[in-house]
Amino acid sequence: MEHSKQAQYTSSEHSKPAQYTSNDKTDSGDSSSVLNGHFDGMVKRPPAASLTAATECGSDRATVMESWKEERTRSVEDNEISLPSLAAAYTTILRGLGEDPQRQGLVKTPWRAATAMQFFTKGYQETIIDVLNDAIFDEDHDEMVIVKDIDVFSMCEHHLVPIIGRVHIGYLPNKRVLGLSKLARIVEIYSRRLQVQERLTKQIAVAITEALQPTGVGVVMEATHMCMVMRGVQKMNSKTITSTMLGVFREDPKTRDEFLTLIRS
Amino acid sequence: MEMNGVVSEYRKKCVESKHNSLCKEETEPNETVDETKVSHIEKAYSTILAELGEDINREGLLRTPLRAAKAMQFFTKGYKETPQDILNDAIFDENHEEMVIVKDIDLFSLCEHHLVPFFGKAHIAYLPNKKVVGLSKIARIVEIYSRRLQVQERLTKQIASAIVEALDPTGVAVVIKAVHMCMVMRGVQKNNASTVTSVMLGAFNDDPITRKEFLNLAL
Repeated sequence: MEHSKQAQYTSSEHSKPAQYTSNDKTDSGDSSSVLNGHFDGMVKRPPAASLTAATECGSDRATVMESWKEERTRSVEDNEISLPSLAAAYTTILRGLGEDPQRQGLVKTPWRAATAMQFFTKGYQETIIDVLNDAIFDEDHDEMVIVKDIDVFSMCEHHLVPIIGRVHIGYLPNKRVLGLSKLARIVEIYSRRLQVQERLTKQIAVAITEALQPTGVGVVMEATHMCMVMRGVQKMNSKTITSTMLGVFREDPKTRDEFLTLIRS
Repeated sequence: MEMNGVVSEYRKKCVESKHNSLCKEETEPNETVDETKVSHIEKAYSTILAELGEDINREGLLRTPLRAAKAMQFFTKGYKETPQDILNDAIFDENHEEMVIVKDIDLFSLCEHHLVPFFGKAHIAYLPNKKVVGLSKIARIVEIYSRRLQVQERLTKQIASAIVEALDPTGVAVVIKAVHMCMVMRGVQKNNASTVTSVMLGAFNDDPITRKEFLNLAL
């Protein structure tokens, strides 16, 4: 099988419905910043992911209120500044629920909950560049590399309730391999945000693509959504599975099969 | 039966700590008060989203404050319910004194320290003293106490005392095994750790053979 240097990822043959296109009109910003491959503007891609774009992005670093698709919308200093108003908001919530914020178990809860929430959204203060810079190695390897059963914890952006699951990542290197834990760190950056599982899966795949320019990337995520289990329809055992296949994983059914078989075993 | 003095002592603590002056003010549910509360919580969530660095005007987050407020109210709906409301009709006189176990009751609660879920299973047994209770009512008692801001130890004890008060049985045993997201998703981040708490009252406490029978059958 030949792996061309510049892989083109077109969505024309893909059978998945174009569920992102309707959202594009409202959220899409710089869809013209296509660096490697074409995603038809369907993907919300952090513009600072590639090394060449790093210097350009330094000048327009996003403010705190900027859209979520910018890589870093808050800093460690922002965290400390926001803490008092977050704690006050949580105190209001406790009161609104009918609890007594002064009782012994709840006295410091607003602060703990605020810090916890900041931890659950720490992906907003991290960038791919910080995590990846040194760990890309030139290796004469073009067979599939899979890291599976990466535990993932995210927050549902609709109900602010946890999403708990696992993600399996496979890629076909194109002479460049990535440190293995960096795959898990990419997952962490994107999962520790207010997310939708479909978007999370795609962001992980796109980040790996942009960092390594591999021949193909496959990401499969299966998760339990507490918003479905603890409330609402209350189905304990249901799981949601999403996947993103790019490059040769999408085009070649045998590669995809191999990946799916290996992650199942 | 005194149940080793535990129940009366605990009931006092439960009432004082759980029901404060804010709760006492509202003796009956009032819809307009509820709506005001939802809007307060909603505004608080909007502030939280903004302070976390998110864009509250993006499509996915537009109605999130309202949804999160309603979700949080659902997760704490146990405050408005009492065992008396749900149990009154379902207690039956039955000439049965052998152990009754309801196990693998799925349980979802909120950690009162971090406002993060913990969930697991509860296994409950009692030795009837001529009075049995409808089986789903045991699960409903679990629901009442778990849908609150809780500490697992207190939750276990409250379930046990509620059953004691309602049925006056010869013995009650409650075991809860749960996973705490505040330990899994943050902090020490231990995925596979679970917490087990148990309360053994009456014959379950006094007689080791009874306790052993329960533990064998339920776990």
